[in-house]
Amino acid sequence: MAYKPPSRAGATVYVWADYSIAERDRRWKAVQDAGKKAGFDCIFVPLGDGVDARYLTQLRCSSVILSTDGRAPIIIADRSSKNTWAPEPWQVGREWTEPMAEALLECGMERARIGVAGLKGGKVSHVTSIDGVVNHGAFSAVLKRLPNAKFEDATDVVGLVRYIKSDEEIAAMRKATAIAESGIDELKKIARPGTDGAQLYADVMACMMQQGNEYFPFALTIDGRRYADPPIGVRLQKNSFVRGEIISVWGTQIAEEDQGILLGEIPDTWRPVAERQKEVYETGLKLLKSGTPCAEVLAFGKSVEKKDGLTTNILLAGRGAGDDGPVINASTPAEKLEGLTIEKSTLWLWRPAVTSADGKVQLGWGGTVLVTDKGAERLSKRPHALIAVT
Amino acid sequence: MEAPADTTWKGFTLSERDRRWAAVRKQAVAAGFDCILVPLCVDGRNQHLSLEQARGMRSDGRYLTLLENAAVILPTDGRKPIVISDRPGNAWVPEPRPVNGSWGVAMAQALAESGMERARIGVTGLERGKMVHGRAYAGVVNHTSYAELLRRMPNAKFEDDHDVVAFARYVKSEEEIDCLRRGAEIAAAGIEEMGRVARPGVTDSHLYTRVMHRMLELGSGYYPLALYTGPMDQIRLPRFEDPPLGRVLQPNYRIHNETDALWGGLIAQEQQGFLLGPVPDAWQRVVDLQRDLFYTGLEVLKPGIVFGEFVGAVNGFGQKRGGRTLTLMHGRGYGDDGPLLTPQDRGEKTRDVVVHEGNVFIWKPIAMSDDEKIQYSWGGCIVITKNGAEQLVKRTPSLISLQ
Repeated sequence: MAYKPPSRAGATVYVWADYSIAERDRRWKAVQDAGKKAGFDCIFVPLGDGVDARYLTQLRCSSVILSTDGRAPIIIADRSSKNTWAPEPWQVGREWTEPMAEALLECGMERARIGVAGLKGGKVSHVTSIDGVVNHGAFSAVLKRLPNAKFEDATDVVGLVRYIKSDEEIAAMRKATAIAESGIDELKKIARPGTDGAQLYADVMACMMQQGNEYFPFALTIDGRRYADPPIGVRLQKNSFVRGEIISVWGTQIAEEDQGILLGEIPDTWRPVAERQKEVYETGLKLLKSGTPCAEVLAFGKSVEKKDGLTTNILLAGRGAGDDGPVINASTPAEKLEGLTIEKSTLWLWRPAVTSADGKVQLGWGGTVLVTDKGAERLSKRPHALIAVT
Repeated sequence: MEAPADTTWKGFTLSERDRRWAAVRKQAVAAGFDCILVPLCVDGRNQHLSLEQARGMRSDGRYLTLLENAAVILPTDGRKPIVISDRPGNAWVPEPRPVNGSWGVAMAQALAESGMERARIGVTGLERGKMVHGRAYAGVVNHTSYAELLRRMPNAKFEDDHDVVAFARYVKSEEEIDCLRRGAEIAAAGIEEMGRVARPGVTDSHLYTRVMHRMLELGSGYYPLALYTGPMDQIRLPRFEDPPLGRVLQPNYRIHNETDALWGGLIAQEQQGFLLGPVPDAWQRVVDLQRDLFYTGLEVLKPGIVFGEFVGAVNGFGQKRGGRTLTLMHGRGYGDDGPLLTPQDRGEKTRDVVVHEGNVFIWKPIAMSDDEKIQYSWGGCIVITKNGAEQLVKRTPSLISLQ
């Protein structure tokens, strides 16, 4: 190794890293195979693409050079960190450029075709980061150090591996979903007229943290205004409507459960909206089976958009380690879904929302769904219903 | 402290926005730039070298717009900035421009519209800064969008902004100091909760949760507590930034922490050590040294002093007392604020930087026994006034024994 690690780095930060070695080898092999099939000599996860790097290393911050010829990857890790997946990484302090370039050279990639994860938004990963997530300073310096190598986007190489979940990942998502649903129980318990919005947010977050939830911001929409942190200047009132997009993380899997709570009797005018929402939810759930083209879900969304003066907006979004896709809603261009099918062992957030004819009532309900060989399985257990607290 | 629901704080004023824009323009004119560009930066979840660095990733855009993700083109001739964002507008920027497919294209169009095809453009976050992004050695900028921008603007001259935005951020307004004071009060309340909960037999996860809960219910934005626990004589304790799993506090465990709270997006920090048992004499000597060092630092820090002089005074302090001392301090603000003065970064780049009235720092110097086997840091936010340094929250340096 040409790179010399620093003599002293900052404190090592420990993160959840309990997937098995078999899971590591499954991920590495799947990425190697996909990279090879795409004609790359290696897959490079540079500084900036933290989510893909954690997928391959379970480290909080790392960079990965994974040759497609079957060799073990070189992993660059920060702050003296290591774990069972990466017991001897190249350790860095705050300098990443030099070790990344050195690692590529050590792997013999001077003139290679290198697939870079995270350079652009992908089909099923980094989907909201349209220009990718790669750090310019570090990556441009690597380009200069390897002027004869060919660097190309390989976001989908890693992304499409992440898309199909293993049993271990599905088990983690089940736990994350259970934690999120306990957050909804807490929301139901605490939300009353007079409750401070910040107290409500704090109690739900603490309920999930107590179970080991890794932080990810969840959102409360209170009387039409959305908050991804404790609301300031908000006190719940009689007939306040609280909508929780309750997010929990376990084993890096990010579950989301969406639930509305009304602090009063449900008006009769809300009932047809709720019934239509349930109808679309159940119908759509039947579409979620292995082999269904994602474009078909988009078409389904258009087919249910208008009925009896009610407007439906569907949302089907891939779930996993973060910024997963595809995201299918009314504004998704069809070409983004070309060639993509729903597969067995994929995870989704399925949440249609229905708006009344006068636009005054909007109800969404949904949560995390697993596609099995028998079709869609709701991971959440609570009843499909708007909750009224009277 | 008033309940968050009943707060009298209504957010930053438009005057504060105009002050910040004017401060950046003034610095940029002095540096000879035609405009300042805050480009698209990588998000903090994906580039996460540390809590502070991650929060700092998009901090320049947040400073100028209060939007969580924004690119800003701020001409130095007094025109209003063009703000590009994928987020809804706010009171400062009611209608940011949408991105529509590529940030690189959107930034290039905005620069062209501002007449910057052949301009000298100062870019924030391209490199590690002196006064901000000090932990991000490779900067914070998104590659693909920036490369596209360069391709589309071949005749413009793009340069690192030489800390133009950073030096504007460096001097806080009264509105900013008020927010940091409130954040420091919330962090201090989190520490009080830690003292109430931490006992042998309590899980680390419960302790972590209770402290975070206390700060959130007081209205802090979520900023992870950094919690370290372990046997008293273990010099380097493991650090956790989420609820630690499978760990239980034991007698004679030491608890160290960086307890941060957000108010108005500004990050305050307070720090307090606890020991689950009596404090041994050898430890008390180091704690006493640290306390005296803390107060000496407050006396030395005055408007006009340069950091080189300050660091020299702090690092030499311990020798007179039979111990060792090191500076641990950095700026407070929207994230990764400088100067960064730590045992790893001794401040060589900032030796000549002058301390100003309105600066806010986290001051948490380290005292050590002569053999360095006992090391202790305690601290909190301080503000520089015309009379010198003052704590934002009056707390006394100590190691608290919980028995």
